[in-house]
Amino acid sequence: MSRVQIALAAGLAGIVLAVLVVLTGSPVAVLATNGVATNATLALANTKATACQPGERLPKGTRAIRMSLGSFTGPAVSVHVYAGGHLLASGEHGSNWAGQTVTVPIGLVTRTVYPVKVCFAAALVRGEALRVDGADTKPAVAARSAEGEALPGRVQIEYLTQGSSSWLSLLPSVARHMGLGRAWHGAWVAFLALALMIAIATLATRTIAGELHE
Amino acid sequence: MSKRSTGTPQRPPAGGPAKTRVGSRTLARQARQLQARGERRRPPRAPLLRIPSFDPLSMLRRVPRAAWLCALVAFVNAASWSFVSPPFQVPDEPSHFAYVKQLAETGRFPTTGLEKYSSEEEATLSALHYNNVRLGPANQTISTSAQQRKLEQQLELGNRLPKKGSQSAGVATSEPPLYYALETIPYGLASGGTLLDRLQLMRLFSALWAGLTALFAFLFLREALPSVRWAWTVGAMCVALCPLLGFTSGAVTPDSMLFAVSAALLYCIARAFRRGLTTRSAIATGLVIATGFLTKLNFVGIAPGAYLALGILAVRGVRRSGRDAVRAPAIAAAIGCVPVLLAEFIGKNSSAEVTGGASGTATGSLLDKLDYIWQLYLPRLPGTVNDFPGLSTARQIWFDGYVGRFGWLDTYFPGWVYTVALILAIAIVLLCARSLLAGRAALRARLPELAVYAVMTVGLMGLIGAASYTLFPVQAASFGQARYLLPLLPLFAAVLALAARGAGRRWGPVAGALFVVVFLGHDVFSQLQVIARYYG
Repeated sequence: MSRVQIALAAGLAGIVLAVLVVLTGSPVAVLATNGVATNATLALANTKATACQPGERLPKGTRAIRMSLGSFTGPAVSVHVYAGGHLLASGEHGSNWAGQTVTVPIGLVTRTVYPVKVCFAAALVRGEALRVDGADTKPAVAARSAEGEALPGRVQIEYLTQGSSSWLSLLPSVARHMGLGRAWHGAWVAFLALALMIAIATLATRTIAGELHE
Repeated sequence: MSKRSTGTPQRPPAGGPAKTRVGSRTLARQARQLQARGERRRPPRAPLLRIPSFDPLSMLRRVPRAAWLCALVAFVNAASWSFVSPPFQVPDEPSHFAYVKQLAETGRFPTTGLEKYSSEEEATLSALHYNNVRLGPANQTISTSAQQRKLEQQLELGNRLPKKGSQSAGVATSEPPLYYALETIPYGLASGGTLLDRLQLMRLFSALWAGLTALFAFLFLREALPSVRWAWTVGAMCVALCPLLGFTSGAVTPDSMLFAVSAALLYCIARAFRRGLTTRSAIATGLVIATGFLTKLNFVGIAPGAYLALGILAVRGVRRSGRDAVRAPAIAAAIGCVPVLLAEFIGKNSSAEVTGGASGTATGSLLDKLDYIWQLYLPRLPGTVNDFPGLSTARQIWFDGYVGRFGWLDTYFPGWVYTVALILAIAIVLLCARSLLAGRAALRARLPELAVYAVMTVGLMGLIGAASYTLFPVQAASFGQARYLLPLLPLFAAVLALAARGAGRRWGPVAGALFVVVFLGHDVFSQLQVIARYYG
């Protein structure tokens, strides 16, 4: 066996091993939400975006907080959770994200705490607005800016944790899901994608093994 | 064949006097024959433009098997991506689809940049929950049988609607028509099926361009780095496995064709620098340039480099063999210009529309604009305003964007993946630098060619920056997407090939094999990431 073949074999084994490790892990799951819909844009922040939302419930097991903040070149976002003035958890998400939500990892929460105040702050990229989404409410229960001014409503917040099912056990449902909403539906689409990936790996490694002589 | 029949003057053989005398007599006879032939049959004056014979089959036969295999891998990879990415969850795919639909069903171009598509497309997008899924990392594609039934009903209904396209094709409206015209072929072939059938066939057609991109990357490496054969396969195979190429080419977007055309252009240029520009290769180069202009407006950024190459080749040719040498580069330049002249004549796609329908908001001076473009790629210069506070553009927009931002740029890896990728990239750059250092003498001789590649790179980056500036500051870097740099993939392949060579004669092939495995792993996990995002 040549060195090239050994390198290819070791590399492929590494990929297979890494895939198995990933499959034994579990996807992120929603532990709880604050029940707020996202049917209104509460604010379009241009210069600074800092707000706090009281009356939240921080469930035990939370590992990340997903907030309804929207941007194309998203700024760095930090989240702090307070209970009675004490900092319970905090985390930060780096800049340059895109989407209608941003997920900020926080340390594992070991007990449920109610009520808590969830605060977020975004260091805005010059000019690009940060959209804050949620639902209109009465000012008394609305989120408040750093200056204490009430926003038109509450921000949607989701509390995330690591799911209990492994990716491996979820494979049948993922395969079924992949077969929906496309031209030719059925779980076979997932197997086709798998077959194509295997074909790519086989073709690529065989070509390299054949062409690279030491 | 005898000497007489060829009429070729031969060197007199070394030897004794007798032999010399024979040789002299032979030479004299040949000289007389040549003179007589010259008087009887004076060679005709070379015509101004002689169309050379064209034998595509023999040309294809000369392409190495490894190049075809790289092309096949790239095609299969893009085809795999076409099944993994949910319909329309690739940047601007609804707009590109709308352009093809309009062209195929009405024979006319779209006229407005609004994102208001045909009833059939709008209804399908709605049934797919497109607006919720797009840019909504928390939202997945439809997942219940009831949603699937509703989609099928919608598709059935859409099939019965009159086929009359839509005047609006969003950001695609201002793009040139060639890619869309070609996509009407799969669209027509699947016209009996549903809208999603048409989309899937169009995606597979697009995947063919990924194959051509890898093929031309291989051929480019063969011309640019002729000394180490195995490195061609390494570079081209890495291109074939590049996740961003598969993701983009596995969707309906003219970027896929632009990557292939740009790779073909780089091949033509490298070939011309190595072997000279014949009439045939000049026609081919001109046609490739023309095709580029007809494919996507971003080609405007690459074209100056191509014209610089033709200029350098003309000057070099004149120095070596006189003014006639200008003819081939002139042919290429003239053919390449045709679409631009036609566009000016017709008045469509003028340079003002290069930004793809972007509505201008930036009002700064030219200096502000140049400063913005600089900062879009490099750390800001002292004394300038920071246009991207809190953002390392080179790392976060371009490098991280290349490593993995899929879907509507809303699907990415965990943060540590980008750090690991950066370490690997630094190793590759160091190996490449070692290779360049070892071959610096050869590099010096090829400075004009390298200058051409540099101008193409800077031109494309400048164009992307200028386009982004039109939306700044409402959007910080709207065109800051790594896919826009993929027309330069063959140059990236050259970096990888050089890096593999930089590992030395003994370990070079091993390094090359490891690069390919790393790219394969990157591709596999990129597809898994997309699967997890939309279906997990």
